[in-house]
Amino acid sequence: MVIDATSQATSAPETAQPVIELIDLHKIYRVGTELVHALRGTSLRIHENEYVAIMGPSGSGKSTMMNIIGCLDVATRGSYLLRGRDVSTLSQSKLARIRGREIGFVFQSFELLGRTTALKNVQLPLSYSRTRHRRQRAIDALERVNLLDRAHHRPNQLSGGQKQRVAIARALAQQPTIILADEPTGNLDSGTGEEIMTIFDGLHEEGQTIIIVTHEDHVAARCWRTIKLRDGQIVSDQKSGRGISDADDAGPNRPVTVGTPSDRPEQAAT
Amino acid sequence: MGGPLLLVRALLFIPDRVAGMVGNIITALVQIWSNRVRSLLTVLGIIIAVTSIITVVSLVEGFGNYVTNFLRGLGTNMMVVYPQVVRGPRGEYLRRAEMTIEDIQTVDTHADAISRTSPVIFTGASVEYGRRRIDRVDIRCTNESFLRIRNFEVDAGRFFAPVDIENGAALCVLGREVLRKLECDESVIGDFVHVDGQRFQVIGLLKAKGSFMGDNQDEIVVIPWTTGLKLYPHHRKYMAFYVEARAEPEIPEAEGQLVRILRQRHGIKSGEMNDFGIFKQDEVLKNFRQVRVIATSVLAGIVSISLLVGGIGIMNVMLVSVTERTREIGLRKSVGARRRDILAQFLTEAVVLSTVGGAIGIAFGYGIVYMASMHPNMVEVDVPLWSVALALGFSAGVGIFFGIIPAFKAAIIHPIDALRHE
Repeated sequence: MVIDATSQATSAPETAQPVIELIDLHKIYRVGTELVHALRGTSLRIHENEYVAIMGPSGSGKSTMMNIIGCLDVATRGSYLLRGRDVSTLSQSKLARIRGREIGFVFQSFELLGRTTALKNVQLPLSYSRTRHRRQRAIDALERVNLLDRAHHRPNQLSGGQKQRVAIARALAQQPTIILADEPTGNLDSGTGEEIMTIFDGLHEEGQTIIIVTHEDHVAARCWRTIKLRDGQIVSDQKSGRGISDADDAGPNRPVTVGTPSDRPEQAAT
Repeated sequence: MGGPLLLVRALLFIPDRVAGMVGNIITALVQIWSNRVRSLLTVLGIIIAVTSIITVVSLVEGFGNYVTNFLRGLGTNMMVVYPQVVRGPRGEYLRRAEMTIEDIQTVDTHADAISRTSPVIFTGASVEYGRRRIDRVDIRCTNESFLRIRNFEVDAGRFFAPVDIENGAALCVLGREVLRKLECDESVIGDFVHVDGQRFQVIGLLKAKGSFMGDNQDEIVVIPWTTGLKLYPHHRKYMAFYVEARAEPEIPEAEGQLVRILRQRHGIKSGEMNDFGIFKQDEVLKNFRQVRVIATSVLAGIVSISLLVGGIGIMNVMLVSVTERTREIGLRKSVGARRRDILAQFLTEAVVLSTVGGAIGIAFGYGIVYMASMHPNMVEVDVPLWSVALALGFSAGVGIFFGIIPAFKAAIIHPIDALRHE
């Protein structure tokens, strides 16, 4: 079923302000002498505690969209309201501040600093935002991904799944408005990928807004909303636990529900 | 309990800026340590520069102090006036001037800027005591003012009295080095030594002064000038005299007075050259200052070349480091690092790198200075604290100067490009 993102938002946030609002976003790159129109008038609203998958073939504009949502890049035209604040015209240093405080990034290849411990890695965003009690907050974040016992390990002493959990803890440490994950399971085997998705599921249940860019259907199927892009435009926006493809969906069989998080049935772990 | 708790509290309230700086320094040290061979090769230029600064500055300072002390030991207000060959207008030899005792006495009584004078004949002789014999010992034939003018002290026995000078008594005072070489102790006082075969009674010993540029000032025998003239009659023409000005600022005045008196006494017409020379300490100082300028220029040359090489090395390695760590930069930016945070991080790394090089150089400098001071004939050398500060300042400055371009390059990398970097 294809649902209009704005009208079919979950009942609770419907009245509330969306966390992310993209209005007629265009992004044009210059590659050599050619102009690449990566986004062509994309509009989108994402509310608090949504669990969104962004899909699309390469060149569809999903990375561009993610970069803009993550304030790593700014749109050529159109506006981007993050919690009602227009961030499309902000300076580099203000964007950096927003990245540090509002966005928790999770990358495909983890991007941990190799020479420092898991705990220090998690503390990194906090040191840039000059947050107090960094160590305690980093410990709390590691606890949420159930990796406190590896706090003093270095990345090369950790498995892929553990590394990604450290990366998630790093994203959480700042208590960001949204978690933005770019192919978070792309470098992991399917079992470990499941493990990571379970963590995201849990965070979502705790009320976290999560956006995952993926090309894996079974990952998208774990999300509650799937946005598909093609040629810089949104071609479908479905709200469902498992609406796109269940061919290789190894996840639990969840009912298709639309409601507030608290209305949703408890998800089976793993 | 209160102490550590207070400390913890104090640490918690370290301003964030300082905490950030400390964080950057720690990151830099970790980075440098994990690439230690590369880092060491990089800072080689800095190490050489700083080692030269420390070594050369310390040695020049050491010699400088030594010369100053020597001159002070010589007597700060002292001059030596000595006869010179008189030459005609075309430079032809006319005659050899002589300094008479009357000349000296006239200067002594008529020049009011001069506090005391002392005739002196410089010569060398063999000295024998029992079966021990030493050759070419410095002999000073002088009077009782010698001690005061030359800042010597007699620490055993006595010095000549004016009556000994008048009598031309065969008395001598020995320097400590002579004593050492004759293998005798203070019991020699009252005993007899032979100076060029002539029997002299030892009446006192001079307090040790040490050596200057390998020239031991304590290998000296002092005898009355009257006795000296009896022993070496042909040395009369070499008779010179020491002059002591009343005070250091009065040295030019004293010199003017003695020149006037001597020219008048020697009947030198205006336009004619002096038939005597004046040796002043400031000539020694002038010579030494020249040596110092040369040493400093050589030092500056070495230092600037090796600092340049070191700086370029640091810039090079920092550029490599920025490229290597592009993804890290991207990550840092994505978690909230601003351009200035990245700039500060890489600049700190360059400065820490060059400062570590500086510290190694300082250690080497200390080592070399220490080894140099082990040499028995070496003057006393010490590493001056200001040279350490200068060296650290220089190396940190090089870090900032050559680190700014790589740091700036790191700061302006776009986070998306950085994260895509392979």
